[in-house]
Amino acid sequence: MMAFRATAGLLALGYLLVLGGCSGLTQPSGSVPAQTSAETDVPAALPEAHRSGSPSASAAWQPLLEKAQSATRRGDYEQALAYLERAQRIDPDSAEVYLGMAQTHQARGDSARARTTAERGLLYCTSNRLCNALRAFVQ
Amino acid sequence: MFRTRHLLLKLCLFVLVIGGLFTIFLDARITATFSDKMWDLPARVYARPLELFDGAPVDADDFAYELRVLGYRAVNSPRNPGQFSRYRDRFDVYTRGFDFPGEREASRRVLIEFADRRVKRLSAGGGAVDLMRLDPVHIGGIYPQHGEDRALVRLNEVPETLTLGLMAVEDRDFYAHWGFSITGIARAAWSNLRSGRVVAGGSTISQQLVKNYYLTSERTIVRKLVEVVMAVLLELHYDKEQILESYINEVYLGQEGRRSVHGFELASQHYFDAPLATLGLAQQALLIGMIKGPSLYNPERNPERALERRNVVLGVMAEQGVISPAQAAVAKAMPLGLNRQHSIRGSFPAFLDLVRRQLRQEYRDEDLATRGLSIFTSFDPVLQRQLERSTITVMDQLDSSGELQSAAVVTHFDTGEVAALLGGRRAKFAGFNRALDARRPAGSLLKPAVYLAALEKPRQYSLATELSDTPLTVKTAGSPPWQPQNFDRQSHGPVTLYKALAKSYNLASARLGMTLGLAEVTDMLARLGVENGVPSVPALLLGAGEYSPIDMAVMYQSIAAGGFRMPLRSIRDIVDANGEPLRRYALEYDRTASLQAVHLLHYALRAVMREGTGQGAYRYLGQGFDVAGKTGTTNDGRDSWFAGFSGDLLAVIWIGRDDNGSTRLTGSSGALKVWAHFMSKSSRQPLAYRMPDGVEPHWVDERSGSLTGKGCPHAKLLPFIKGSQPGSRTDCGDVKKDRGIRDWFDTLFGGKE
Repeated sequence: MMAFRATAGLLALGYLLVLGGCSGLTQPSGSVPAQTSAETDVPAALPEAHRSGSPSASAAWQPLLEKAQSATRRGDYEQALAYLERAQRIDPDSAEVYLGMAQTHQARGDSARARTTAERGLLYCTSNRLCNALRAFVQ
Repeated sequence: MFRTRHLLLKLCLFVLVIGGLFTIFLDARITATFSDKMWDLPARVYARPLELFDGAPVDADDFAYELRVLGYRAVNSPRNPGQFSRYRDRFDVYTRGFDFPGEREASRRVLIEFADRRVKRLSAGGGAVDLMRLDPVHIGGIYPQHGEDRALVRLNEVPETLTLGLMAVEDRDFYAHWGFSITGIARAAWSNLRSGRVVAGGSTISQQLVKNYYLTSERTIVRKLVEVVMAVLLELHYDKEQILESYINEVYLGQEGRRSVHGFELASQHYFDAPLATLGLAQQALLIGMIKGPSLYNPERNPERALERRNVVLGVMAEQGVISPAQAAVAKAMPLGLNRQHSIRGSFPAFLDLVRRQLRQEYRDEDLATRGLSIFTSFDPVLQRQLERSTITVMDQLDSSGELQSAAVVTHFDTGEVAALLGGRRAKFAGFNRALDARRPAGSLLKPAVYLAALEKPRQYSLATELSDTPLTVKTAGSPPWQPQNFDRQSHGPVTLYKALAKSYNLASARLGMTLGLAEVTDMLARLGVENGVPSVPALLLGAGEYSPIDMAVMYQSIAAGGFRMPLRSIRDIVDANGEPLRRYALEYDRTASLQAVHLLHYALRAVMREGTGQGAYRYLGQGFDVAGKTGTTNDGRDSWFAGFSGDLLAVIWIGRDDNGSTRLTGSSGALKVWAHFMSKSSRQPLAYRMPDGVEPHWVDERSGSLTGKGCPHAKLLPFIKGSQPGSRTDCGDVKKDRGIRDWFDTLFGGKE
């Protein structure tokens, strides 16, 4: 069993080297499942994509957040949520947008929804400030 | 004699009274319905607008496709809305602008540059643009039973040459007559006499309008008389502009399948893919000429006849002084100028079906077909195109006979929005919508519900819990005993929980489900959104029941979103005919499963792709691209399923036969390939690793299930709900020496644990 595992590991490593050599792409290190058959129609491997959405997406949705805040201030919660949902579609992984949504739900008295939204937002928060602001809705 | 005269008088009086009453009836009919008919507008359904900003994940070629389906024209230098020019990955676009619900997007000229499949620069008038959106693609409508479609245009938006040309050809005395024209009839009679057959009708525009609105097309004296009376009544109540405007919006100008094309605006979109206001003289004349016989002079089917007729119209327009002879000569030399090859309206019957079903929960059919609503949906034409391409490519490799069917659902799991939908292998064919209506067993696609139910009990279960993959028999009253088997007909003995799911072992899963109890599993399925078609039999644990691809999308959507259940949405907003927002479909979700348990399930579904039945996906995907998913195969290979997600998209693929015969495929050899092909082209974000509060990683000896040290034999890093990690420990401490090859999960942490 051990010998088999070692062989499989070596095969995988060999495959990785061949793959790296052929494509010229830098592959992240990691064990690769050994593959025995190749298909003729294999599309080009994807380049390593951005891990946290677009770096400049926040510049795109920031004005929407401001519009949402002013809509909330004048009591137009539906419009505020519409702006925030558009912001979320632009950058689905932004904890700040989730925070905006939670705040809007809270402002219109729907604390249950504010809590659920904040809970989801917690999956995406990266700074203490944001995480704490979101946690405040959950506790 | 006297009696006869008396009788005649009575008869005359009777006829007069009846005639009078009938006239009153006709009058009432016109006044009661004419204004409504002017606004009898089918709902228009729009795709999502393409959002553009610096860094937006849009490919230059996909952008070009979006412009094409929007009907933007490639020119050297854009000067009018709806035009663009392209030089490699740089676009100069004059956008049309659009009234979105609650917000107007202005028409403007923008420069857009793409690099690495993203927007690299976005500017207008020398300044940077933070965010903008194109007008949304019009993907179809919701028509009345008779299939009439139209798009309203106001008289002041119609080119003057078109209205004047229309009158020159159809009704020269329009502004002078009272609804019918003696001279027009005389002229028509003379033409007919001269040619020996009926070549001209002599009907005024008003007569044609009442005929179209209220009467049949039979040619009888009575019908003609009624038409004249109604035309006169129409003129009494409405002014010439209203009548002309109605006519321009009503006149029948052709057919597109079951949908009839009414009005000049829609005809302009249909034949030229351009708004009426932008048509040239030759194109205007073509449409005017078609009134006489929309089928006979159809420019697509009878281009020569249509060209001939168009030139006759241009001749009449010049003769009547609408245009100069020189203009007519230039226009006559023009080609037909049709631009029909890229129209995509009506090409997505499966998605429109989904929209219609969602609408019918709240609106009556009649309102949908007549109130001129605008329906804004989440449909993404670019993703749909790729889904169709991937399906065709892979299905043609799997089955050249064309007997296998396929269906698919693609969603943005963060928002619960359906982005693309495929109801069958032939996407444009509006038949049985398998994505919504197929009722099939789901095989191992249901297993995650069993494992999630277990992982929600951290005192009893963790990813490292040892399960037993050994034969079992379940006796149920009144039916034969249930004896599940593994796909390879082997049993694998003790196996860790996560591996049992990754390898899709049936015996271990069935044992786990029976220990938990069917009620627990059924409850978990309901919490994930699967409430119908779930039978209360042990075989449910391995996918027995009746499920559609959209049911599976709902379930995997809840899993992908971290245990938050969301209703799948296809509609974002509905706006009425006056542009007033009617309804917004808000983002809604409830947390229905433990965040931490779902997180562990994500680990197991990633393991499916890295070391289990989903490994084949990496023949298509880049090795560093993290995804999670599950294969499903039903008895005798009748159904091949795959459901999975990356960081931005979720897709469910089904392959099977309508006659329920064998596909000879497994989830891995069939649906997975379509899924991976599609994801490799469309997904832009790998699944990110975000550990929620209350979860921590530990090194575990894969064989014994005990805690161990990093770098020890069989050490594997696994996430645990705090306190659920194994109590026992091997006597191996951390080995600092790098092992060379790191586990896929280990690399997610980048050594941060």
